[in-house]
Amino acid sequence: MIRRYLGVMAVLAALRLAGRLARAAAIVLLVVAAAPVSLVAALAVTLAWLGGWAPRRLYRAALACLPMVAVWLVAAAIAGRSVPHAAAAPYQAWLAAWHQLAAGSAALAATTIAPAAIPLGLAVAGLAWSRRIYAMETGTGGIFPTSPAAFQARQWRRQVRTARAKIAAPGSVPLLSRRGAIVAGAVIRSAGHRAADLAMIPYQRLRSHQVVIGTTGTGKTTLLLRLWAGFLARGLQLHAAGAGHRPLLVVLDCKGGADARRVADRVRRVLRDAGARYTAVWPDEASLSLWELPPADLTGTLLDMIEHGTGAAAYYADVMEAIVALAVGAPCGPPSSAADFLARLDAGWLGLAYAGPGHGAEAALLRPAARHVSDIALRFRTLFRRLGTGLDGPGGFGDADAWYCILEGTADVAVAEAQARALVDLLAQYAAHGAGADREILLAVDEFSAVSRRLPIWQLYERARSLGLAVQVSAQSWQGLAPDDDDRYRLAATADGGIWLLRTPHPDPVTAMAGNRPVLDTSRRLLGVPHWSHEGSSRVREEPVADPALIRRLEVGQAAYIYRGGVTFVQVKRLVAAPAALAEPPPAGDRALHPATAAAGDQVRPASAAWPVSPAVAPLPADAAPTGQPAMAVADVTALLDEAFGAEPG
Amino acid sequence: MDASAGTTEAFPASLTERDIAALLFVAEMYAVQIDQLAAVLGVTEARARAITLGWRRARYAESAKIGPGRPWIWLTRAGLSASGLPYRAVSPALSRLAHLRAVVSVRLALEAAPGYARAGAFWRGERRLRAAAGGRVGLREHIPDAEVHWPDGAPVSFAGECWAVEAELTRKTVARTAAIMQEILSRTGDYGCPAGQARMPGVAPRHARVVYLCSPAAGPTVARARAALGETGRRVEIRRLPPGADMAGPAGGTGGPAR
Repeated sequence: MIRRYLGVMAVLAALRLAGRLARAAAIVLLVVAAAPVSLVAALAVTLAWLGGWAPRRLYRAALACLPMVAVWLVAAAIAGRSVPHAAAAPYQAWLAAWHQLAAGSAALAATTIAPAAIPLGLAVAGLAWSRRIYAMETGTGGIFPTSPAAFQARQWRRQVRTARAKIAAPGSVPLLSRRGAIVAGAVIRSAGHRAADLAMIPYQRLRSHQVVIGTTGTGKTTLLLRLWAGFLARGLQLHAAGAGHRPLLVVLDCKGGADARRVADRVRRVLRDAGARYTAVWPDEASLSLWELPPADLTGTLLDMIEHGTGAAAYYADVMEAIVALAVGAPCGPPSSAADFLARLDAGWLGLAYAGPGHGAEAALLRPAARHVSDIALRFRTLFRRLGTGLDGPGGFGDADAWYCILEGTADVAVAEAQARALVDLLAQYAAHGAGADREILLAVDEFSAVSRRLPIWQLYERARSLGLAVQVSAQSWQGLAPDDDDRYRLAATADGGIWLLRTPHPDPVTAMAGNRPVLDTSRRLLGVPHWSHEGSSRVREEPVADPALIRRLEVGQAAYIYRGGVTFVQVKRLVAAPAALAEPPPAGDRALHPATAAAGDQVRPASAAWPVSPAVAPLPADAAPTGQPAMAVADVTALLDEAFGAEPG
Repeated sequence: MDASAGTTEAFPASLTERDIAALLFVAEMYAVQIDQLAAVLGVTEARARAITLGWRRARYAESAKIGPGRPWIWLTRAGLSASGLPYRAVSPALSRLAHLRAVVSVRLALEAAPGYARAGAFWRGERRLRAAAGGRVGLREHIPDAEVHWPDGAPVSFAGECWAVEAELTRKTVARTAAIMQEILSRTGDYGCPAGQARMPGVAPRHARVVYLCSPAAGPTVARARAALGETGRRVEIRRLPPGADMAGPAGGTGGPAR
């Protein structure tokens, strides 16, 4: 009995072994018989493995070969003068290739079979490669238990390498795609987004709110510069085509310091290459006029710029409001400058201004508040001294294509807060009532939370939304976005244009907003490395679309773009700006032309001077005719030319 | 010469500041003839030949008698690299020798004028303009032979202006010459700027004026072209090319310092 059982077992084992051997032999035979296809497939899979490609790339390559196949088949049909001949062409080519190989003509054999073998090999490679990826993603592939994790890590490294090679190739990553989308860089990997080689952001997304989070030194400025340049370039394109308003970029750099000046210089050069005629750097080289606000808004802004206490101090706040309203709303018109406003903060001046008939109520209001006027004047005098001349005009947002506003949020928070308040009010006024209604405005605020005590960032956000402004908020961390979690979530949740994440230690709240995706988890029984049993179980589990661990490990210049439940990892392409061309301030005559330039005065000048100011960027007066060139006053140069070359020939 | 600032360390210690300035001059002008180099260096031609020999030994420059008149000197790739100039090293084209000589003569004559030095003006040659433009020079775009920049605050009435300089040796048609004048005078952008900025309505022109230095043959055509421009023609100055601008070279001997 035992002998018979053992015999049956031996027969069964022998049959199993024979079956396996037969299967292996059939596979080997198939591989050898289809050697050209096998070779192409092996080569393609190796390349995909080395480059971390997605299978679609192989499928796409196979599809790209179809015209070649079609031409080949047509040629075969014409040569054979029959369609059936064309149908048999692959078989005939295969047969001929073997004969040629047997005759020692390997090159001829390869040429003969190439039209059939290449597309087929690529398609087979795509199938094999996608099968391999699927096996690794579901945990059913690999020899060792750690194989799937090692595969994923290796794939990431190779995808990064491929993306870096892509952006390093000259001209491979333009600023704008042919369809006008802004190209941020090369795609490393994506999930839930349409697969592509280049990360392209439609212009309309930059017309919506965006959030950018990344610690210092991760390439945040590089990314922002690219987005800003893309916004301006595309906006100007559309404007030139009559399909949109002229774009306006306003950047509020709320950190300040020397670093902000360096960034401003880079911004100007990059934007100039993108088509911006004039980039104003506030307050170093250009100014804005607070005094152009309507009286009611001006009163509110002036009051908001001064810090008030609470409790008993509320009384003084009321007194201040009354006095400021009287000074701004005087019968002679609103003040035109800080000096004018300060001159009005005098009990005698106000008394005279409202001495006329019909101003009884104002005069009555002034009498009890008169003794506080000098204190209020002192506070405003101090404020304006600390603010400098940046808000004292002349100039307005309409004077430039881009404004880079530097707020000293690190060095002098109180002043920066006042400046932020004033700038936002000015921009709101410009967008709502000025020529700004005809501009497509992107307001980019960096570390705004540093100066948002008097203007909560969500308020800025909501206000911008109501005015049709797109707001791009950037911060070094999730916590830097806003003072509390409610505001942070409110900002992130309303970022219709997407969220950019660079390396940051706490990406979880943002990645959670990207949502989850179902992934298959498979367990296998390990019988002993490398033997796996055929038993196991699978289950579907939810995994974050944007892996927080991956974002914590991002390198410099890499970013994750989260949009509508998908994520694209991007290797950002750095924009290389032309060398600094603006060195000297414009001549005195030119300065009179442009308020913003005039305000540059004798302040900061870039040290890397090479050539004088190019008239290309010398802006126009606001009322200059849009067509034709301004007439030039021609100075007499006869003496110098006569000195060098002699008199003009008769 | 401003352009020499900061480049001293790139050269061996044996090169003097004068040598460096002259090397930069040669680089900027594509190539110069030995008598013109002597003028730049302020030495005799014999001394200029000796200096050139030193440059050749250092592999910074090449010289050869490639056309009528005196030998030509131009910088090699090593010389351009040491000068820190991003130009492509090429030997001067035979077809351009006469023009190169004329432009160098114009520059020498202008720089020799006391008013030029007093104003601290600087010369931006065609080679530099082309380098700044990179590959963005349109096929039909005309680049002047040079720009002269007059710094702001210079003690001249035209401080802050930028002039275009054209050396005209041969006669073109009046229409073509007028078109070139118009193109130069209506340009608003720097060379190499985005195409959209090259001519922007309402923006001040880049060149306040264009100075034509003409051979006797080309002079009348240039004058007629200027007249054809009407009011804009007021911004065109016409003068004769300085003596020694033709390929025959200076009439004088080679004994004394040229400058």
